[in-house]
Amino acid sequence: MVEKKYKFISQPRHPTENRRFVAGRGNFVADIDRPEMLHVAPLSSHYPAAIINNIDISEAMMMDGVIDVITGAEIGAAIQPLMNGLDTPKVQRFPLAVNRVRYAGEWVCAVVAESRAIAEDALEKILIDATPQPFVLDAEEALLPSSPPVHPEHGSNVLLDRQFVWGEVDDDFAKAKHSLSFSVTWGRNSTVPIETFGVVAEWNGWDQILDVWASVQMPKYSDQIARCLNLPGNAVRVHYDVDVGGSYGVKRGIKHATLIGYIARKLGRPIRFIEDRLENMRAGDAHGPERKFNVEVAFESDGSVRSMKMRALDNAGAYAGRAPFQLGKPISAIVGPYQINSVSYHAISVTSNKTVQEAVRGFGQAPTNYAIETAMDRVASFLKMDRLALRQRNLIQSDQFPYLIPSGSTYDSGDYHAVIEKVLTAADYPTLLANRDHLRDEGMMAGIGIAACLEPSGGNSSFEPLLNESNKTSTWMESCQINVDGLGHLTARIHTTSSGQGHETLVSTVLGEVLEIDPSSIRITRPNSLESLPGNSPVGSRMAIMLGGAAARSAEKLKAKLIKIAAHSLGIDAEKLTYAGGNVLAPDGRKHTWQDAVELAHRQFHNLPEGMDPGLAAFDIMQVPTGNALPVDGKVHMYPCYSFEFHLVLLAFDPVIGRPEIHSYTVGHDCGTVINPAIVSGMTYGGIAHGIGAALLEEFAYDPNGQLMTQSFLDYLMPSSHEVPPIKIVKHCTPSPHTVFGQKGSGESGYLGSPAAISSAINDAVSALDIRFEKLPIRMSAISDAIANKSA
Amino acid sequence: MNLNLVGTQSIQTSPLKLWESVIDPAVLQRSIPGCISMDETGPGEYAITLELKVAAVGGNFNGSIKLSEMDPPNGCFINVSGSGTLGSGTGTARVTIIENEDSSADIKYEAAGEVSGLVAGVGQRVLLGVAKHLVRQFFSTLKKEFDAN
Repeated sequence: MVEKKYKFISQPRHPTENRRFVAGRGNFVADIDRPEMLHVAPLSSHYPAAIINNIDISEAMMMDGVIDVITGAEIGAAIQPLMNGLDTPKVQRFPLAVNRVRYAGEWVCAVVAESRAIAEDALEKILIDATPQPFVLDAEEALLPSSPPVHPEHGSNVLLDRQFVWGEVDDDFAKAKHSLSFSVTWGRNSTVPIETFGVVAEWNGWDQILDVWASVQMPKYSDQIARCLNLPGNAVRVHYDVDVGGSYGVKRGIKHATLIGYIARKLGRPIRFIEDRLENMRAGDAHGPERKFNVEVAFESDGSVRSMKMRALDNAGAYAGRAPFQLGKPISAIVGPYQINSVSYHAISVTSNKTVQEAVRGFGQAPTNYAIETAMDRVASFLKMDRLALRQRNLIQSDQFPYLIPSGSTYDSGDYHAVIEKVLTAADYPTLLANRDHLRDEGMMAGIGIAACLEPSGGNSSFEPLLNESNKTSTWMESCQINVDGLGHLTARIHTTSSGQGHETLVSTVLGEVLEIDPSSIRITRPNSLESLPGNSPVGSRMAIMLGGAAARSAEKLKAKLIKIAAHSLGIDAEKLTYAGGNVLAPDGRKHTWQDAVELAHRQFHNLPEGMDPGLAAFDIMQVPTGNALPVDGKVHMYPCYSFEFHLVLLAFDPVIGRPEIHSYTVGHDCGTVINPAIVSGMTYGGIAHGIGAALLEEFAYDPNGQLMTQSFLDYLMPSSHEVPPIKIVKHCTPSPHTVFGQKGSGESGYLGSPAAISSAINDAVSALDIRFEKLPIRMSAISDAIANKSA
Repeated sequence: MNLNLVGTQSIQTSPLKLWESVIDPAVLQRSIPGCISMDETGPGEYAITLELKVAAVGGNFNGSIKLSEMDPPNGCFINVSGSGTLGSGTGTARVTIIENEDSSADIKYEAAGEVSGLVAGVGQRVLLGVAKHLVRQFFSTLKKEFDAN
């Protein structure tokens, strides 16, 4: 397909935001300083499960500088429980533990003091009398009726247990020549942004309004705060101009904001709470999916995979939240990029006495991709087929789009074979194979990893009504508003927070492209929630599609008005006019300039067409393309766009030490039309780094007593520049038919396939020893131990 | 995390005197590292306040000590539980006193404990070392009781 040429889109331009960030002039939550501000420190539970008998705050309250101590009992009686995505009304969650603690690290009470240091000192004076209770950590154990329920009122630990059958699974299994089964486990990890979560809240009693500044990436944040605090929606004003120092899904901050909002209102003073690293790792919104897969696949001798049965058991931690929906998003790409005829999917989410799971980059897609790609490697190994050839046989062909998958989603477009060919060329695959064999000859364990996967994008969260039938949400909108001032300059408002995705660059580039004006002349503002049109925040790889779409549509509306004004002024039919570079041109050579239109719209109402309103402004509220139906019979179309990525990696390690070193990493990425190449490359690079962490290092590990063993960077290991290699990113563009410029999402790119690719490489390296690693992360100790056991 | 400590200390005194000192709250208060107060709450039961500062691990702890299965002068069980900002702990130690031929006595301890909270996670690497250090400190102070006599 020939790429359409753009003036600003897809061009190498510096992201607008870079300037203030590079200069250290961002506006982060820690930069918010309000007069008379108080500070908060939370007290954490030591026990994974306990009944709280008594909290003695008397000594803490007597300390100089301590203003108040808030307990769970107090806040539980004063506010509504936090929003719960599932239909499990008795699994209630409050910002502080009410009567019972359900995981080690859970906040039991909060000290409010003149400084954070005083608040921390006061924590030592609080006496908690609690009786430890039985607890459960493992998801399979939690599933047993005999396990101690994390929420006794709920009656069991099962939050969600849904069985879907899409297509003739039993039939396909019966007909297929072979089948095999395996289990893999995705370890509990996170995204760990540099900046922990923070929030400042201030109640103005005279205006009856709660101002909130937060480092947040949370859909419907102000609505949720208002509902919890029993306030009208228009009494909560969330300021969207706060820069977010990284999120990748986890900056949910709803329990923090309700707690701090409650305190601010109670005390009538501004309150700040910024998590320290330990609070963040133990009880912030840090933990992502922890998932066990049992997979069975049916296939023919030629490698064609016919059917798949997947059971996914997710350990949600102590409360429901939104996390169980992370079993839902992967339904939209449950066959990956492959032609698999039928699928059964058993999705189970259980509570346990671990930290609450929250959204992490990809919203459950990366673990599922890891399971699907492991299946491909296993089938190839069973048939003694080349892993690459097996994938190429099963991939959906470019002429099969739009492609309806068994679970009801239709993939928009793609050319998977072309991307793979580009990667094989760029990585010089024959040489890569030779290098692997050469490393093996030298005594190293060397392996090549392969992973192909999809990134569903556009953020239509139809998994909500699919997994919770009482939820009838089909609307997932985004908005943009533009205004030309009296001097002729364009300002656009975006109505959400940004956590590094470059939304200002996105909107100015799109507006510049449509209106044919210099993007750097466009001002972007981020007002507060009360001055904003509705939106759903930057989740689900949606903003290029949705915010970019709403911006383009606003610009088209403005352009139409400019043409109408010109037509009236020039006395020519609008259809005969052309728009170029901000001006409107008549066939006879006359030119109605941008400034002419500004003059008429702002100052000469008498010269405007009859019935036209003055001013030059437009807005657009856009629904997700293709998102127009609720689920029927356990099937639903979810995402408008499907980006593709193909990873090819060579790694090697010493058999005694077992520390993988990546020798070569190439990724092919097709996210349709790229708006800003630097931003997309940055996301892909960062996503792969994140995936290296998930594959090799990062895990929130618990000891048998329910204590989190990895709560600081001493134990929770992150990839550094030593572990992240240079990455060759090969771009390909298959435009989406559903979006304005053919763009697709890329916010989760890299991370969705790199853990699968690295696992594939390590398993290739040890294949001669008949060793299989079936759990991520694959720590170097696991590698060296497994090899040592084989050699012994 | 679980913490197990086993050891023996020889002290130049008779088993009886050693027994008497080990169950004497005044001696214990002097010997337990960081002990600020120790109040008798029942027969063989004490409420205890500690202020511990060892390397990176420091903080205040409130707890209780209970002596049971007293078999003078041969030994007893000691149950300890405590909690503070940094964490909570419970433990049981079996203490045995054995007379030696050289007119000294051995005190043998086998302790099993469970630690939770911040110290369990962040302090996992240093915790055993800290515990051993505290036990050493306890016995070296206890020994001084007998040097003085």
